[in-house]
Amino acid sequence: MPTPNTTTAIKLIPASHFNYEQLAAIYNQTRVDYMVPMPMNAARLAEYVATYDVDLDLSLVATTPDGEMLGVAMLGLREGRAWLTRLGVIPNTRRTGVGQALVESLMEQAARLSINFVMLEVIKNNVPAHQLFIKFGFYEIGELLVLRRSPLISPLDPIVADAQRLDRTDSLTLVGRDRGTQPWTNQSESLFNAYEVSGLHLTLADGSRGWLVYQRQKFLLTRFAFKTEVGDPATVAYALLSHLHHQYPRLDTQIENIQINDPHLPAFYEMGYVESFRRIEMWHGRPPASLKMNPS
Amino acid sequence: MTKILLIEDIPDNAELVRKALSQSGYEIIHAPDAETGLQMALAQHPDLILLDLGLPDYDGQTLAGWLRAEAVLDATPIIALTAWPEETAKQMVESYGCNGYICKPITKVNIFVAQVNSFLKTPNANP
Repeated sequence: MPTPNTTTAIKLIPASHFNYEQLAAIYNQTRVDYMVPMPMNAARLAEYVATYDVDLDLSLVATTPDGEMLGVAMLGLREGRAWLTRLGVIPNTRRTGVGQALVESLMEQAARLSINFVMLEVIKNNVPAHQLFIKFGFYEIGELLVLRRSPLISPLDPIVADAQRLDRTDSLTLVGRDRGTQPWTNQSESLFNAYEVSGLHLTLADGSRGWLVYQRQKFLLTRFAFKTEVGDPATVAYALLSHLHHQYPRLDTQIENIQINDPHLPAFYEMGYVESFRRIEMWHGRPPASLKMNPS
Repeated sequence: MTKILLIEDIPDNAELVRKALSQSGYEIIHAPDAETGLQMALAQHPDLILLDLGLPDYDGQTLAGWLRAEAVLDATPIIALTAWPEETAKQMVESYGCNGYICKPITKVNIFVAQVNSFLKTPNANP
């Protein structure tokens, strides 16, 4: 067993050499003592990899030379950008250089592909991880919220509006493909990769209008993208949410990585959403000119 | 014998709880994920459910919502096991229909058993 505060001999193996059961087991072991452990089974991890364009050939598992598991880190790839995710080190092997070796190798993998813009999110108050990323030249972009709404909250009557339900094709047309500097989870590709995507378009009596696109899972509404085309964002968002939750009164809701300065946020709180936790978004390098900056 | 359903994915944590509560005279049934937990709750009607909020298939909050939506479990106390900060834990248990929460990690077994005893006597007696 490695001793804390000493350097461990580390072997890095492509994650594609492991199956999803093995990767989920490694990942879960790295998170057992987290305040927000977010464990995954094989199916959930496979969906994560597919939705977020994680490249398992470029992602890494760290072991000792004898094959003892030490940690894992994954790399997502999209045009002109990369994403560092699922970084974790098994608790009794932390502070032995494992996290540093994983991040260093993933950054090299990205650089070899000529990708100089790398994004990540770190849970707020995870000081060791935050410091590690600072050391590698990442800088803070802002705070992100993870919000939930219980299905036990009674739905209100929907706000009177001209409401149009959108199928997948129409929803994805609205989302478009220009959300490249949104947090990775909320970029267009995530919705294009997701199943059961649909949407709503509303026009209110005063001419305000906007849309909401979402994924409907078996028990959960998630992966929201939304935009106010005309009018006050909080008013339009409240109307959209009133229709959504009226339509799906028994589904739980979780939305991730909403920027804390998003003008739609008051509507979420008014609709009964509560904050689970916060992340800090960090970037390394500058977004390439081909990526349009954060359209709302 | 009072039956407690423990829904917890980490084997070491499950074993700790099982040992502590078995020694106190409770019957413990264990589910390692949300789907199994729902099935066991419906089939075995436990007297109390201890629910870890971090589960590998569906989050504990989502499961709490399903459990609370089942009429046969309407009166069954659901106690969340969580490492959330106190304010977040309170918000989560209230909005998802749990009766209370017990903070993780469990370090003092006698205090944990006393908390479970207390929730069985008074389901809404949160610390």
